[in-house]
Amino acid sequence: MLTAPFVLRGTAQSSEQVIVRTTGGRYDDVMRRQVYDPFTELTGITVIPVAATIAKMLTMARARNVELDLIDAAIGPLVTLQREGVLAPIDYGSWKWSKPDDVMVDYRQDKHVGHYVYASVLAYNTNSFPDGQHPQNWSDFWNSEKFAGPRMLADMATGHPNLEFALLADGVPMDQLYPLDIKRAFEAMSRLRPHIRKFWDTGALSSQMMLDQEVLLGSIWNGRVQPLIDQGVPLGFVWNQHMQQLQSLGVFEGAPNAKNAQMLIDFMLQPEVQARYSADLQYGPTNQKAFGILTAEQAAQLPGSPASRAVGFLPNIDWWEDNRELVNREWSNWILQ
Amino acid sequence: MPLYRISQWALIAPALVLVIALFMMPIAWFVGASLAELGSIDAIWSEAKSVLGSRAILGAIWTTNVIALVVTISALIIGYPLSYALSRAKGLAFSLILICIVVPYFTSVVVRTYAWMVILGRNGIVNQVLLSTGLINEPLNLMYNRLGVVIGMTYVLLPYMVLTLFGAMKAVDSRLLQAAEGMGARPLTIFAKVFLPLTLHGVMAGSLIVFILAIGFFITPALMGGTGDIMMATLIEREIEVSQNWPVAALMTIALLAITLTLYALYGRFADRSGERFV
Repeated sequence: MLTAPFVLRGTAQSSEQVIVRTTGGRYDDVMRRQVYDPFTELTGITVIPVAATIAKMLTMARARNVELDLIDAAIGPLVTLQREGVLAPIDYGSWKWSKPDDVMVDYRQDKHVGHYVYASVLAYNTNSFPDGQHPQNWSDFWNSEKFAGPRMLADMATGHPNLEFALLADGVPMDQLYPLDIKRAFEAMSRLRPHIRKFWDTGALSSQMMLDQEVLLGSIWNGRVQPLIDQGVPLGFVWNQHMQQLQSLGVFEGAPNAKNAQMLIDFMLQPEVQARYSADLQYGPTNQKAFGILTAEQAAQLPGSPASRAVGFLPNIDWWEDNRELVNREWSNWILQ
Repeated sequence: MPLYRISQWALIAPALVLVIALFMMPIAWFVGASLAELGSIDAIWSEAKSVLGSRAILGAIWTTNVIALVVTISALIIGYPLSYALSRAKGLAFSLILICIVVPYFTSVVVRTYAWMVILGRNGIVNQVLLSTGLINEPLNLMYNRLGVVIGMTYVLLPYMVLTLFGAMKAVDSRLLQAAEGMGARPLTIFAKVFLPLTLHGVMAGSLIVFILAIGFFITPALMGGTGDIMMATLIEREIEVSQNWPVAALMTIALLAITLTLYALYGRFADRSGERFV
């Protein structure tokens, strides 16, 4: 009896869809299984994931030819789009499955809302640096005498090179990072540069370099290093001084399926749904109720948990939006010295 | 207009329309719309001076040209004997050499690069063989540096060199070589005085094609290069994706296009001369 109306709606609206920009790869498989298929079953709305770079989305918006509805991206690109004035408000009032107040207030904005937290952590090879002798913080990472070996850090192409880590290594306290001292950060980077083998520009490259032992130390996303550790690769990482990064959702102004996009956001942010895909992706939920559903062991491995927040920091996205172009120019001058 | 002229234009028209609609117009739109953001000609001029005079872009232009030159020379050194073998081979041998040269060209760049990682990495095949034979004690750094970029790009661009040289070598009249031999010239003299001069236009054309393609490379240097192997395409991509500064990206694009077109004009000269030779 209860399912009957849904079945009817499902058939009546079988042409309903929502097109989502995602990061692709393994992420799409997890989301298909844990979010998109259950959502389609419930509402009859088909979810179509597509790839699109920030430049492509900006071009769509400027050409007034928006071909997708929901943007699932790092918060940086969403702030860029918001400043361009092409995002619609998140319709918190229409939510029926999730409660806005359950989503931590730092993650909730007018035009975008965080849906998981990932982290850049300090990872190392455990053959070279066994338990008790591994680097504990970014000062150790910068200490190439005590911890010898090739290293990697994030490239400018990721949109967010590891200037924060350079400043932490140089002695800036974690709560006084912003506004970033760009000059000081690049000076610290220059000291380490002879030991940096490569700046990674994609998550895939970063995990490949750790796996192949091309580097013995590196900054890497926790969701990229944890699966390797689970497979028995001799790697470890420390949560100390990690950077939490927010993956957020936003809806294009004038999107063809805007209403469906708002519905999918509501569906995705439920504690049960978030708990399921967070555990699979090893990225932390933004709905704080979800931590209650996960086991203590699972929660301990996820960034954005109360334990993680105590030893890490959330970057100042507005500073980065204001200064990314300047940092890019400085980076180009620095890298080509 | 004579009939054969009209039919020439009719034959070329579909390709011309395609190139204009899909290639020229988007570039014109991108450059026009981006530069229009700056407002006035004066603003464009001063931005152009500051962008194209910056240390980063001058450094990238230098790096790009050095890498492209080394890649061109490498491709020529490997490609010339290979093309010669191809031009003399028949039947199965010909097909095998051709397949070996062309098949990698159809493989995706990411797959190719991962294959190189397996071969050239610190724990790759080359290092393992050298370590086990005792030739080296420490693994060599064969990638994530300039050497890696040159190896990767030479591999990708080799087919262009070989196929261009093959055309030139195939056109050499073998009776000329026989005549030289008959008049007592040594093999080295035949090569230096007859074969090389007759294939030189192919060398120039092949080198220019490889060089022109090399200066626009993006993925291979990004994946196989080290920290300082920044080519122009990398900077352009970052201006678009990271800075969203389209005017600057447009100016860099114009600079790269100018270099390419200059070289293409040179290429046209050599292609024309080679044409005269056989008409």
